[in-house]
Amino acid sequence: MMYNIDLVIVGGGPAGLMAANTAAEAGAKVLLLERDGHLGGQLVKQTHKFFGSEKQHASMRGIDISTMLGERLDAFDGRVTVWTNATAIGFYEDGVITVDHDGVYKKVKPERVVVATGASEKFLSFPNNDLPGIYGAGAVQTMMNVYGIRPGHRVLMIGAGNIGLIVSYQLMQAGVSVAAIVEGLPHIGGYAVHACKVRRAGVPILTSHTILRADGTESVESATIARIDRSWNVIPGTKKTIDCDVICISVGLTPLAELLWQAGCEMRYIPSLGGSVPLRNDCLETTVKGVYVAGDVTGIEEASAAMVEGHLAGLEAAASLGFKSDNYDAERKDCMDQLAALRSGPTAEKIRSGLACAESR
Amino acid sequence: MLINTGVPTREQLDRLLPSPERRARGPYAMVECFQEIPCNPCSTACPFDAILPMKDINEIPAIDLDRCTGCGICAGVCPGLAIFIIDESKKDGTATVTIPYEFRPLPEKGETVNAVNREGDVIGDATVTRVLASKRTKTPLITVEVPAELVHDVRFISLIDEQSFSDDTSSESQKSPVSHETAPKTDDEDEIIICRCEGLTLRVIRDLIREGYTTVDEIKRISRAGMGPCQARTCGPLIAAEIARMTGQQVAEIQPSAHRAPVKPLPIEFFLGGDSE
Repeated sequence: MMYNIDLVIVGGGPAGLMAANTAAEAGAKVLLLERDGHLGGQLVKQTHKFFGSEKQHASMRGIDISTMLGERLDAFDGRVTVWTNATAIGFYEDGVITVDHDGVYKKVKPERVVVATGASEKFLSFPNNDLPGIYGAGAVQTMMNVYGIRPGHRVLMIGAGNIGLIVSYQLMQAGVSVAAIVEGLPHIGGYAVHACKVRRAGVPILTSHTILRADGTESVESATIARIDRSWNVIPGTKKTIDCDVICISVGLTPLAELLWQAGCEMRYIPSLGGSVPLRNDCLETTVKGVYVAGDVTGIEEASAAMVEGHLAGLEAAASLGFKSDNYDAERKDCMDQLAALRSGPTAEKIRSGLACAESR
Repeated sequence: MLINTGVPTREQLDRLLPSPERRARGPYAMVECFQEIPCNPCSTACPFDAILPMKDINEIPAIDLDRCTGCGICAGVCPGLAIFIIDESKKDGTATVTIPYEFRPLPEKGETVNAVNREGDVIGDATVTRVLASKRTKTPLITVEVPAELVHDVRFISLIDEQSFSDDTSSESQKSPVSHETAPKTDDEDEIIICRCEGLTLRVIRDLIREGYTTVDEIKRISRAGMGPCQARTCGPLIAAEIARMTGQQVAEIQPSAHRAPVKPLPIEFFLGGDSE
């Protein structure tokens, strides 16, 4: 059978949860698809307190934000249906979305779609990069913070962006030692306060360094790193071997945009946003009418921005169906103001330049 | 520099230091936040408006030390754990610093702990005088007494004789040292996996590019790269980067492989089943 519904939201992370809340509040009937067995996306792994302002729940821990936003969905008189263990596997030109829901093949025909699929992790090529013990930072967070499993005893972290810094900190909280954080750039990419936190807990941050290789017989036993110059050439005589049983790769994310490609959305490769992103207008509608986007699939940013984008996309998708509350204008402006504030500082310079290239008109 | 090392400079810290009179008068907050990031809970949480309201949430917090009582509310909410409460008003050669601390177990009042500086080095002993752990949303605040001359350096604590998980096995790893010299030396290209699902090395991919397969789709069709469980999410960007490098193009010019449904491998019987509700 075909499920007909006002709005399908693909992805139950920070952006999708906010979109579902806003659209349902406006009166739309919403189907929220979440690949995992539970809502929250990356929020459930975020045991640290969020930045931003009160409106983006600053100072709350990500996992608590996830619970709060998920519970709110119950308040909409059954207007929100949540399918967990539900992967949107295809987006067809007639607007049908196919879903693997708990192993059952389902077809959904929504009036509008918000794609909030998030991002996937980038990987690195170096010798022996397939040894057991080499993980993406997301996997390490899932093991520790969702399943309570320590990935190893001594970790070498590759990447000093916010994720590399935060996961290093969380590893230490779990009682795992972090040998060092290696960063190819000459400066730390993540927030300075995160860097200070891991430094005072005893972890060296080696900027202008890269990993050359991993070694070990059955699994990782060591990594070789070296200092590099600005053109990424290894400086002779700087090779160092670090004993570790885990190498954690945290070198950035890239938008998870397969469904948007399938839908025929115009895409553009924008390095500062992490890869190919959909062009969209100021309502977060892509070049395919009725297909909206929010969160990391629009370009890699902080979860606080993802929540606001989700709010805006849900608001606009519902409004385009006639579900427009009295304070639509005020809410829309508030979202715009929040996004502008979150993106106005020097740390968001890359995002601003990237977004300027992602406008569809 | 802070952005190279994660340690603020002496100049940055000196600028935060209150006047000698204010320091002698009673506890105050040291807001060690030196970077404009979008964050304002300290200013909205302060009940005395000592951390001044921000026009723009990216502003670096500014503090009015005449209003600051050293209550510590800001230290408990700061997402960056960057606020410390200093009390130098005792005249007995000791001072206290209150540190946001998110590790377990928490120390106990009266316990002696290691006093750790911003570089992570142990610089002396500290005595725990207060442990404030309220709701889990807040960060526990540990107040320690240290020699007065160390109070501007101590920013972390570690428990003495703490058996960390890593220590349990450190001896084990020493028992079986890795012999790097005897590891078989092979050419790097054969040791670098690009497509994990299909087990394709960098050499395979480079050979194909040399043979003239210069799009991600062509490489996918000839080698199956990107046709496994990850559906090119791992290898796709690596292959695109390699093509760009070897053909002298920009990564932006390399088309990703076609994205067809389904986005993950599924057995044929799945599509025969379907939902007949």
